[in-house]
Amino acid sequence: MTTPAVRTDQLTKRYGRLLALDRLDLTVPAGEVFGFLGPNGAGKSTTIRLLLGLARPTAGRARIFDVDAGDVAAAHRLLAYVPADVALWPQLTGAELLDLLAATGPGTDTAYRADLVARFDLDLSRPARTYSTGNRQKVALVAAFATRAPLLVLDEPTSGLDPLMELQFRRAVAEARANGQAVFLCSHQLAEVEAVCDRVAILRAGRLVDVATVPELRRLHRSEVTARFTGPAPDLAAVPGVDLLDRADGMLRFALAGPPAAALRALAAADVTALTVREPSLEEIFLDYYGQAEQ
Amino acid sequence: MSAVAPGQAVTRLAARQVRRPALVVAAVTAGMSALVVATYARTMGDAGAASALAALAGNPAIRTLFGEPVGLDTAGGFTVWRTGTVLAVLLTTWGALATTRVTRGEEEAGRWDLLLAGRLTPAGVLGRHLAVLTAALVSTGILLAGALKASGTPAAGALLHATGLTLAGLTAVAVAACATQVFPTRAGATGATMAFLGVGLLARMIGDGGPAAAWLRWLPPYGPLALTRPYHGDRWAPLLALAVAAAVPAGAALALAGGRDIRAGLLRPPVGRAPRRWLLGSVETFAVRRAARPLAGWSAGIGAYFLLIGLLADSLTGFLADNPRFADLAAQAGFAGLGTVEGYTATLFALLAIPIGAFAAVRLAAFAAAETAGRLTLLRAGPVTGTRLLAAEVATTVAGGAALAAVAAVATWVGTTQVGAGLPLAAALAGTANVLPVALLGGAAATLALGVAPRAVTAIGMLPTAGGFLLTVTADSVHAPPWVGALSPYGHLAAVPATAPNWPATLVMVAGAAALTGAGILSYARRDLRL
Repeated sequence: MTTPAVRTDQLTKRYGRLLALDRLDLTVPAGEVFGFLGPNGAGKSTTIRLLLGLARPTAGRARIFDVDAGDVAAAHRLLAYVPADVALWPQLTGAELLDLLAATGPGTDTAYRADLVARFDLDLSRPARTYSTGNRQKVALVAAFATRAPLLVLDEPTSGLDPLMELQFRRAVAEARANGQAVFLCSHQLAEVEAVCDRVAILRAGRLVDVATVPELRRLHRSEVTARFTGPAPDLAAVPGVDLLDRADGMLRFALAGPPAAALRALAAADVTALTVREPSLEEIFLDYYGQAEQ
Repeated sequence: MSAVAPGQAVTRLAARQVRRPALVVAAVTAGMSALVVATYARTMGDAGAASALAALAGNPAIRTLFGEPVGLDTAGGFTVWRTGTVLAVLLTTWGALATTRVTRGEEEAGRWDLLLAGRLTPAGVLGRHLAVLTAALVSTGILLAGALKASGTPAAGALLHATGLTLAGLTAVAVAACATQVFPTRAGATGATMAFLGVGLLARMIGDGGPAAAWLRWLPPYGPLALTRPYHGDRWAPLLALAVAAAVPAGAALALAGGRDIRAGLLRPPVGRAPRRWLLGSVETFAVRRAARPLAGWSAGIGAYFLLIGLLADSLTGFLADNPRFADLAAQAGFAGLGTVEGYTATLFALLAIPIGAFAAVRLAAFAAAETAGRLTLLRAGPVTGTRLLAAEVATTVAGGAALAAVAAVATWVGTTQVGAGLPLAAALAGTANVLPVALLGGAAATLALGVAPRAVTAIGMLPTAGGFLLTVTADSVHAPPWVGALSPYGHLAAVPATAPNWPATLVMVAGAAALTGAGILSYARRDLRL
């Protein structure tokens, strides 16, 4: 069994009376693209700061390829990071910043970096003072991908990118995965997470709610079923896991959680002419979790 | 609907940003003046001594360094001579720094985008910030005039002196406000304003020196203060020059504010440039690269001042050697050992610890600001420990401080050599190196602050140098018990090159600085990165 890229063990962080992260146990195998989701204030950034050794855990520990996250001189040889809010030295140009980050980082593939600069359409001659949010993010993304480090920690990396650049981002993540690198991706762009992630963790109020592959999450969640029929409407009231959403003449739309057998039996009593089952998007799954928190 | 008008809200915001330092500046200004008035009787009570010291007025070197001594026979006149220039420099420097911080600094950080998306115009927002700074300086002036009057000096002189200092501060605020319209960065605007103040101070010093260049004293912001002669003639007319010097740039700033893009200045740097790749190879060399430009600025200022000190050495020491009575009086007034070039330079080298300590505190405060702004995050995400990053910054700052000491020594040596005063370069270097441990204590205090109280790096960093100097001066003035003066590092500083260094004290200071620095780096490495 290979060493996991990230492993946390009862990782806990308190800021005074606020419990920002509560006994998080998480394992990300090497080579996996791992999505890390949660509403604002759930503890995502705190987790990342602990993984990077930028903050010290109150209890528990985090390991990067079996190196303690606090030992940054060793652990950071194995990772690259893109912060949510990229701040750069305003007087340095993009080229100078990439040189600085290459010299102080875990190493750089300069040919790949040149390729990424071209693909992200980054003007390296401008001082960082003149960069927009998206351009600052591009500098950090190019620097991080160019390291080819075995673990990439990306915190909201595409929040300032346009759709074309986001496509380039997805390509770069796919290349990293093909290259055997692990990616720890924290994002609110759920379509993006759905497109690139192997597994997803959902965090809420400092606690881990669920970790699963996207198809597994789907299975655990409600599908939306639309049935068209002739004759009398089937009676679904007594069927467990069914939540009626809409009813019209000759049409029923309901959310279905859990195994579908009982619902199908109930439908079989009617003369069903068409049946469509739509799987929930990650966004709907996420809103489902979030909605539970609200209640 | 909100109960607060938009203008009022912006005024409150501006007030919140300056009120604390404004209170400190006002307290120091009024307190220091009242203290000197109160101790006048003890140091200068003998009328004969006062009139003899007034004879120093004929010496160009004394006039250049300490201002033209007029009205020394009164407590008020003596106070103006002793504190006037120091307080003028304090008020103008604070005024300039506060102005660029709350205007261009806030705009550069993007926070004015939100303010200006509201109903106020750029000129309206700027005007309200200037009004708050004006109110702070006027309040300081009122407090100062009240303190001087309460201490028993004549009201007319008190009012004139306080008005002059307030106008000098307002001139600095107005010039800074104008500079923030021209330069797109806070650093550029601050640098330009500091250059204006530096040139103004040199003009005042040269103008004070003798009648040939006396017209230079009409140049703002410091010269006209000398012309007003509070407590000795009370001339109000020169303040008109200051009022104009404050009003014109303030008006220009308000006019320019409406005609430029937000976050841009009238000066537009080219959009792109070729990369300059030197000193980007490691966090250590990058620390050197970031320090290089500020170090050049500090070197220029310190070098110019000590060149002037050197050029004046012969004239001043010769005068005092010929007039031992005056040398005694100068010693009583706090300037001992001025009769020889070694004693004279040793006295002035002691002051050097303050600018070097300020350089160290400001550099480490910039490091703390880079952390808060998130600029250190990407460096810390590399295989670089916090210890290594801060150690590189501290080492660079210490080396920069040593370079500043060398610049001061060489400048003094060049000046003394020009006038044939005969100060060997080795003696000058020994003299400036002697004060380095005091400056090191300042840098060490700033490092400790970075570890334990990162918001207060500048204030804590200035405690050993500026705080120690104020403590020494105060303890001397009020004849405090010896242990009070012994708390200040200056109490243990030998007058090198006039005397041998106080080696035990030097070693204790260096060891103390090393211990504080170590503790600071350790606590920095242990604490979470602030964002």
